Amino acid sequence: MGNCFSDEAGGKAAVGGTSSAAGGGAAAAANDAIDYYFKSRGFHGIFSQIELSFSATKLRDRDVLSKSDPMVVVYTKAKDGPPTEVFRTEVVLNSLNPTWIMKYAITFQFEVVQTLLFHVYDVDTQFHNVDVKMIKLDEQQFLGEASCALSENPFLVISKTVESGIPIPVCKTEVLKNDHNPIWKPIFLNIQQVGSKDSPLVIEFYNFNSSGKHDLIGEVRKSLADLEKLHSSGKGENLFSPNAGGHDRNKVLKSQLFVDKFSESIQYTFLDYLKGGCELNFMVAIDFTASNGNPRLPDSLHYLDPSGRLNAYQQAIVEVGEVLQFYDSDKRFPAWGFGARPIDGPVSHCFNLNGSNNHCEVDGIQGIMMSYSSALLNVSLAGPTLFGPVISTAALIASHSLANGGKKYFVLLIITDGVVTDLQETKDAIVKASDLPLSILIVGVGGADFKEMEILDADKGERLESSTGRVASRDIVQFVSFRHIQGGQISVVQGLLAELPTQFLTYMRSRDIQPNFLIL
Amino acid sequence: MGSTSRTLEITVLSCEDLRIGRKWVKKNTYVMVRTDPLNYRATKMDTEGGAYPSWNQRLSIEMPLHERFITLEVHCKTASGDKTIGTARMPATDFMGGYLPENYLNFLSYRLRDAKGERNGIVNVSVKANLPEYLSSNDNDKKVSEINACSMTSKPAPAIPIEDGKNFGFVTGIPIWSKNHV
Repeated sequence: MGNCFSDEAGGKAAVGGTSSAAGGGAAAAANDAIDYYFKSRGFHGIFSQIELSFSATKLRDRDVLSKSDPMVVVYTKAKDGPPTEVFRTEVVLNSLNPTWIMKYAITFQFEVVQTLLFHVYDVDTQFHNVDVKMIKLDEQQFLGEASCALSENPFLVISKTVESGIPIPVCKTEVLKNDHNPIWKPIFLNIQQVGSKDSPLVIEFYNFNSSGKHDLIGEVRKSLADLEKLHSSGKGENLFSPNAGGHDRNKVLKSQLFVDKFSESIQYTFLDYLKGGCELNFMVAIDFTASNGNPRLPDSLHYLDPSGRLNAYQQAIVEVGEVLQFYDSDKRFPAWGFGARPIDGPVSHCFNLNGSNNHCEVDGIQGIMMSYSSALLNVSLAGPTLFGPVISTAALIASHSLANGGKKYFVLLIITDGVVTDLQETKDAIVKASDLPLSILIVGVGGADFKEMEILDADKGERLESSTGRVASRDIVQFVSFRHIQGGQISVVQGLLAELPTQFLTYMRSRDIQPNFLIL
Repeated sequence: MGSTSRTLEITVLSCEDLRIGRKWVKKNTYVMVRTDPLNYRATKMDTEGGAYPSWNQRLSIEMPLHERFITLEVHCKTASGDKTIGTARMPATDFMGGYLPENYLNFLSYRLRDAKGERNGIVNVSVKANLPEYLSSNDNDKKVSEINACSMTSKPAPAIPIEDGKNFGFVTGIPIWSKNHV
């Protein structure tokens, strides 16, 4: 038998019995009157009025000469109890797909599980003019039955109280569907969000209403410290419904709130790790491709101005380097160039900026600046623009450091004027490095259109995927265009370093690495 | 003689954006981790996450040293039966060998593809390869200074018999140094 009935769609309005009616006057008086009506019929506490209308499809045809004449009988059933008849519709004549006119108004009570049972009967012709209430069901043809429980979709809202008295919501749980004994997923709170562990909190228990006007079922007032005690005692705390008892008192409800889990942990900040001995290691890679322009000409991005004015590359090195070097203990930085031909050599996509064949490090920001200037004299700008080799080299350094038990986090700064020639090659290198203690900051200088580069920065798009089907474990790239920054509100440093703490903390926390506070 | 396999601790974390046909998966998904058709482990069923299920379930599986891939299969129990809705292959080199230290906790993610080869979401796992028993040391702070070196043990290792019935036809010999060895 098909059956359908409307409940929420058919108009569910919360009437009376909800928390503090705002405003006085006629509205308050009307509520009092409705309250009294329900109370006189034994309905206390929080409730909602629901109207059920009925229709059915594809009923079985029992009559020989005509179709069935169906009627619905509604029963309520308390848990494990026998069903009690509460309602009958009228008889619809001659239909296997009837819609009944009579509607059943039911009062939905939160605290009681209400199961409804529907029986459909085919009413014999001789009873068609009889009042439905008088029809004896055992003389009719039973067509079928269905049952359901009135839905209960609870969720909690936790609010902090402030001086003005109105609670400010801090967080809420998910909505559980059709659950009279709800267990929500854990929620995470920062003690700072609520003030202190002893700050009074209001925990409100709502029933979700698709109209947006959720019904307040009850509440509990506890601080975090109280909740911790509740958890360890294993006891439940009764909800109360404010102002629903007589004389403006709170009515204590039968429902209880239990705290299944309570744990407190310290979440370290980026600075905590740095103070605790974790080092940031700065590395830099500079684009020497021909698109930068001939370094001897003033319009080149690599032009070394005799007046001392820093070009875009130098500015980026100084601004970013000065911040990061503060956290780098030995101030020795690996520095590379790419996209150029060192003297008498083939194009290299990762050559040591200091010109050495053996080691890649330079001393301090000054060291980078000096190596950069002399490299400009000793290489021929070429192409194409490939990041893969410098990223892989930086990744190798990071993983060797891991293998040696180091607590270092590496930051590679790539300064480039152009769009990468082989985007997939770059993605492959980034994906391979995405599970290492490494962040890659890319600054775009000059006037190129860097739209494609933004793909590498996962917050502007999807997670990066390598050509072998591996997906980046985390977003380790931050891309910033120098041109967009200049004259803007934030500096290059702020734009680039904005994500660094998050990338760093994601790495540390996922592995449960804690700062080692050095005892001096 | 030595161990012919390693124990992997694979924690199946979650999946993203799973579909059957064009529609998002509603529920009842689980993941099977396989080294070969006969050696596999499976997670419990996720009933609530829909197209974004999560399990956070650790599975231990033996991986023979010659195996080059672990297969991750995402299954969905639908009304018409158990369907494999996405597969990914995890190369052993992603979590073993290379420059990473032994016992490194790798967080890895892979693109899932369905039976037709179409993209179908992402699977997220973490993998830790445990050292073969005889290479583990009492010293927790040991450092691995070379890429494929084995660690220094402080006492001679016990002999490990080759497991019956699992003779793969070749032996991996890994030399052991002891502290007393010059």
